[in-house]
Amino acid sequence: MLSRSALSLALTASLTLGAAGANAADLVIAGRDGIYGQALDATVARYKEAHPDMDIELLKLPYGSLYEKLVISLREKSGAYDLVLLDDTWATEFMSNGWLANLEEQGKITGDFIAATLDISRYPVAQGPAYSLPVVGNVAMFAYNQALFDQYGLSKPANWDAVKVAAKTISAKNPDTSGVVFRGQKGNPIVTGFLPLFWAHGGVIVDDAGKPQVNSAQGVQALESFLELKQYAPKGIEVYNSTEVRDAIQQRKTAIAIEVWPSWAPSMDDPSQSKVVQEMQVIAAPGQVNGSSPMLGIWQMGVTADAKHDKNARDFLNYLTSAENQKTLALELGLPPTRRSVYTDKDVVAKYRWYPNQLEALEHGKARPRIKQWNEVESILGDYLQLAMIGQMDARTALDQANRKIDRALKR
Amino acid sequence: MLFRSRLQLLLLMSPATLLLAMLTLYPISQILINAFSYVDYVGAERQFVGMDNFVELSEDWFFAGAIKNSLSFSVLASLLQVGLGLALAVLFDRQFAGRRFALPVIIYPMMLSTLVCSAIWRAWYHYDFGFLNNALLSLGLEPVQWLFDPDMALFSVMLVDIWQWTPMAFLIILAGLQSIPADIKDAALTDGARGWRRFRHITLPLIMPQVLLALLLRSIDTFKLFDKVYALTGGGPGNSTETLSLFIYKQGFKFFNLGLASAAALLMLAIACALSAVYAWRYVGAKS
Repeated sequence: MLSRSALSLALTASLTLGAAGANAADLVIAGRDGIYGQALDATVARYKEAHPDMDIELLKLPYGSLYEKLVISLREKSGAYDLVLLDDTWATEFMSNGWLANLEEQGKITGDFIAATLDISRYPVAQGPAYSLPVVGNVAMFAYNQALFDQYGLSKPANWDAVKVAAKTISAKNPDTSGVVFRGQKGNPIVTGFLPLFWAHGGVIVDDAGKPQVNSAQGVQALESFLELKQYAPKGIEVYNSTEVRDAIQQRKTAIAIEVWPSWAPSMDDPSQSKVVQEMQVIAAPGQVNGSSPMLGIWQMGVTADAKHDKNARDFLNYLTSAENQKTLALELGLPPTRRSVYTDKDVVAKYRWYPNQLEALEHGKARPRIKQWNEVESILGDYLQLAMIGQMDARTALDQANRKIDRALKR
Repeated sequence: MLFRSRLQLLLLMSPATLLLAMLTLYPISQILINAFSYVDYVGAERQFVGMDNFVELSEDWFFAGAIKNSLSFSVLASLLQVGLGLALAVLFDRQFAGRRFALPVIIYPMMLSTLVCSAIWRAWYHYDFGFLNNALLSLGLEPVQWLFDPDMALFSVMLVDIWQWTPMAFLIILAGLQSIPADIKDAALTDGARGWRRFRHITLPLIMPQVLLALLLRSIDTFKLFDKVYALTGGGPGNSTETLSLFIYKQGFKFFNLGLASAAALLMLAIACALSAVYAWRYVGAKS
């Protein structure tokens, strides 16, 4: 049997070791899985070459899980993470709750970040200090198959009406190829596909006074156009997500994709995966009443307000977003940069022929509303968009009901 | 007697009772309080709102749909699983060639994780390339919109659940069948009871407790349906496969509307209790 002193010693030792274990890392980063995780892994490896003694813990989590963990941890002020990767739609919630450190308290942010991407790192948006830095320059692009357009005498679509004409022409003349493809799965996918069209038609989700306006005449017109496009989409579009959209493009089963993300684009020109090498034109989405309104999907990284290693976190963040690191990540992994100089770098443009168009799309990019409840608003809108798509409601009824529910959610 | 006194028994049971109370009574009491409150998750503030959360739920078209989907799924899936399980158990209660090899094959789906099952079936359900539609086409039939026809999607999810969990009902009922004493079977044969009559009047009443137990367990489990829907359809198309669990998950963990999520959870608990009570009452009735 252990003596009392031996037991005390063992307890003290285990507590000390436990505490040491809990605080072992010099920097704890909460990030995403997939390509973002690979990019963070690569950056951590390079950063550690210059800081060999630093112990960096990197968590790579799926989208939903990352959000849940961050909200719970930051709300509890647990100090578990020093650096956190954020989708831009979470930014307002995180910044307004005081969960992120002001990055400009020690001086202005410098560098050639594209203005639209840095604007949404600020709180209030575009005006206040930056609470994060843009890491991934995601923007929804539009793609069409130039070879098929040439075959049927169509030119680059100038607006969404022209998109409908092109989709109708190709699907009528070529039964094996759908005119258009998009993500129809409910929730974030269908909303993301719809927003560039909605904004281009003059739709507004929440007005300046904070009132929802999705059921305006422009909104209804946009949804009717979207539903019209469905006629030229493949069967089962209601459950299409990124994999199905990519497959349809790469297998030459569609002529137009109304939503293409920068991470999908490189595989279109990869002959081992694609039958449309050099055929797809990747451009900013067309306009209609308004000009082109591509949707921004910027991933940002912020230092938490309760960070235990604030200095290390700021230093790593500066390295992660440096032009040099962004160029390497773009060339190695195709991670879209957020700095103008990387988009105009000759090595990068040689590898990604659509980067000048992507830069243009980022400059005209539109962010989703800066409201705390965006997650819920998006889910509501996604539910009703899909009810309209499967024919259970007409466009007007769906948007009226969505507007009523969004109004309730915003008042909560 | 195992314990010297009632006090000793109570003392020995108290740590487990305390732990159980902490892990069940505390969360339930929190849900009860939250269900009648508006909870600001970030500010950790709570404001009593009376029946507001329940009123909001009663006006919510998606919540009504979720109740309907959960109930239909639970009743239909558990009945089908137990019915099929009973048929299989009767078959496997006899000796036949290959029985030893067929048994593991039947039990196999139950050993897979739900996410793996869902991934397999998602591939099988693919409209253009799925094995099921290819099989239908080879038979000269039309392909089916398994997951994107709102009238079909819930049944498609149900088919996956039946594939995965019928073996559980089968094993419970087979255990019941094999526990019937041989002399009862012999006596029935001597009295001339054969085939359907022997099954209907002798076997079925004797295995009724196992059948009801299988129904109880499967209906409780199917009523909580979450993972298959999450992986296969995300609740869509429209709200055709949205279940109560998915609704509560979205309100609670995606939107952090804790008051609304708690009110919905409370209603779900009440429905689950009512559903279980029907079976439990029948089970007790059958035993007595």
